[in-house]
Amino acid sequence: MANDNKTGAEVSFFGASLKKAGKFASKYTTYITFIALLILLAIMTNGQALRWISIKNLIIAEAVRSFAALGVGMIIITKGIDLSIGYVVCLCASVAASFAQPADYAGALYVGKTFPIIVPIIAGILTGLIFGLLNGALVAYGKLPPFIATLGSMSIAKGVQLIYTNASVVGSLKPAFKKISQGYVGPIPNLAIYILVAALLVWVLLKHTKTGTNFYAIGGNQQAARVSGIKVERSLMIAYGLAGICYGIAGTLQASRLGLANSLTANGMELDAIAAVTVGGVSQNGGVGTVGGMMIGVFTMGLINYGMTYMAINSYYQQLVKGLIIILAVYFDMRKYSKR
Amino acid sequence: MDSEYAIEMQGITKQFPGVLALNDVTFRVKPGSVHALMGENGAGKSTLMKCLFGIYKEDAGKILLFGKECHFTGSGDALRAGVSMIQQELANCPERTVAQNLWMGREPLTKAHFIDHKRMHSDTVAVLKSVDLNISPETRMGSLSISKQQSCEIARAISYDAKVVVMDEPTSSLTEDEVVHLFKLIRQLRDKNVAVIYISHKMEEIFQIADTVSVMRDGCMIGTYPIGDLTNDKLISLMVGRKSTERFPDIGEDPKTEVTLKVDHLTSAVERSFQDISFELHKGEILGLGGLVGAQRTELVESIFGIRPVASGDVYVKGQKIEKLDPQTLIKSGVGLITEDRRGSGLFPLMSITSNTSIPSLSQYLNKLHLLNHPKIDTDAKKYNADLNTKTPSMDTRIQNLSGGNQQKVIIARWLMTLPDILIMDEPTRGIDVGAKHEIYLIMTQLIKMGKSIIMVSSEMPELIGMSHRIIVLCEGHETGVLEKKDMTQENVLRLAATFMK
Repeated sequence: MANDNKTGAEVSFFGASLKKAGKFASKYTTYITFIALLILLAIMTNGQALRWISIKNLIIAEAVRSFAALGVGMIIITKGIDLSIGYVVCLCASVAASFAQPADYAGALYVGKTFPIIVPIIAGILTGLIFGLLNGALVAYGKLPPFIATLGSMSIAKGVQLIYTNASVVGSLKPAFKKISQGYVGPIPNLAIYILVAALLVWVLLKHTKTGTNFYAIGGNQQAARVSGIKVERSLMIAYGLAGICYGIAGTLQASRLGLANSLTANGMELDAIAAVTVGGVSQNGGVGTVGGMMIGVFTMGLINYGMTYMAINSYYQQLVKGLIIILAVYFDMRKYSKR
Repeated sequence: MDSEYAIEMQGITKQFPGVLALNDVTFRVKPGSVHALMGENGAGKSTLMKCLFGIYKEDAGKILLFGKECHFTGSGDALRAGVSMIQQELANCPERTVAQNLWMGREPLTKAHFIDHKRMHSDTVAVLKSVDLNISPETRMGSLSISKQQSCEIARAISYDAKVVVMDEPTSSLTEDEVVHLFKLIRQLRDKNVAVIYISHKMEEIFQIADTVSVMRDGCMIGTYPIGDLTNDKLISLMVGRKSTERFPDIGEDPKTEVTLKVDHLTSAVERSFQDISFELHKGEILGLGGLVGAQRTELVESIFGIRPVASGDVYVKGQKIEKLDPQTLIKSGVGLITEDRRGSGLFPLMSITSNTSIPSLSQYLNKLHLLNHPKIDTDAKKYNADLNTKTPSMDTRIQNLSGGNQQKVIIARWLMTLPDILIMDEPTRGIDVGAKHEIYLIMTQLIKMGKSIIMVSSEMPELIGMSHRIIVLCEGHETGVLEKKDMTQENVLRLAATFMK
């Protein structure tokens, strides 16, 4: 009898811990997937993937995308979306690049002029901010669906970029400007430091400020947020504006990393960024998502790219796989948050 | 083989993680009967119905339709078999016409497989006639009143030759006249030998319309009774499982002390909404706002709170005129609003209890660096919910996983955390079971004892009368009278609520 009781208790204890494990797994799916992928890749590459040089390359490859992801991550938390990322980043890169060409370069946009290194940085970020605020105003005050608003601004950004650069390459950038992305602090690439700082700042914003909490509330239930005294329009302006700044930084860093900008720069980055944050658990339903998730999402996608390249899979197929991953991620996201 | 029952659900058991939602439930409905299914929220009524329609798969038990075992895979499937559901929240396409909605998915076709508009039109006219609905089949669904949309839904069920019709809280947004009409339709269905399963919390309705009552409690079927064997009190005690004690706590005398809120000649910016409303709210008072659907009570309180536009008039809080009516200003002045539509404008469904509680009061929890003081937020949110006896597995639980009553408590906790002096409660007990209702009444009583004031909008007559010191009655946006405690009778409220002014 006593024995039976004990077994019962053990069974229920086992059941409870199993349940806990399940809960843990569902909460940290993204992290577990990432680690599993990393291990898989390490085995497939005989440990190559875990070497510092590989990790460093991964970080450098994903840095610019991380900024785009942080930006659009905030927007998706407010239950918005941003399709303009690719061309806005492209425009920001072009604007930044145009102010970073040497005075003696005959093909420069401003021939015979040279600017201090701060000018391209500020110009790039400002361009991003302007487009962010434009998107924000259209969504918050114009009451346009974010999908349509940013579809429009996407085309505007593309047009402005083509007009501004006359559809030509903005290249031969000054070494000092290229060093922004290409430089190192000791063994650590500058880009790694930028991401770390940016992720930290966005984390503080989302987790520890009222502004960030308001994003979640608006995404969770805009009407309830309004009743709770949240200035919805202003908060949306802030979210899209901050995202714009992220895109501006992304563009500037991309120009610096590649040493040039043209109309193909950051092509399709909206897809990459949205996919990454979705894989990272930022819900398209709004009101759900963490900075950790966004970053893990970016690097998960990075690992998948790396793995496919390592396995010498044709890049056309990589595009296809990426599409499937997005669909799967959203599918599971929708199931997770729908009522049982 | 024929059975004496239209629907027979035998030994249905359904387990969800952590809860036994249905425990060996047997439910039988005869044709030509209006069978009420009663029980507190969470008793298992909707789960049982979802098993019937195949939205959930029961773990054990079987379902028989006229003696034949059946397994529906959703409401469409059930509809084709003659089992129809009239939802509480109507599911139609508001931008499509009545005819298009009625024949959706089974439009009559011509020989060439194009849509036969002519036949669709004439069939619609015929079906609408059977529910006394005199409208053109080309009317846009969304332009109809809720009551007429509901009649269309019933017409749709009839057009499918439904043998079983389930109605879930069908009267929740109907006026008295519309309820009368609905009951007429229900009786017509019954006379056509249709089995009507009627789910409602409103006792008065049950005694008017039902002939048989089944009561559920905690996932079990308590019993099935002919209506003649039941009284109001007996029914409540069956549902609650205990004697129904005093329905309303003692709210004491009208305090008639200082004025905390004054509304002065307030007129809505929306045409045909409320006009020229003036009243005063005293400290420690519960002021009831009564009226029929369309009386513009929700519009009034939401305008006071600044969510809807105002054309003219002023609001004073503690003698101070509010210069700009918006929620931020009102919250700062010590006013809170619990909205009528909990899902639409109350809950942040995917967020935790803590977040749901603290969102409007975050400004009070900023440190010197303007960062949120999370430990303090956590403790306070927990404390307010504990005070209100919110039942939740943890403070991190998503609010969508709580029952309606507990969600409402979280929303009340949310507003108490903003330290208000005035709480506007719009239908504070809508969609909440009897037990939780009583708890909400007790909370309201405590609040007024603490010197807070409450404006309560309520469509439930006994609640309005039992829980108000004074009642202001509106009719189509006009103030038609004020009732003091001694004059509060259902007749008086109804008379004023139906005093139409031009």
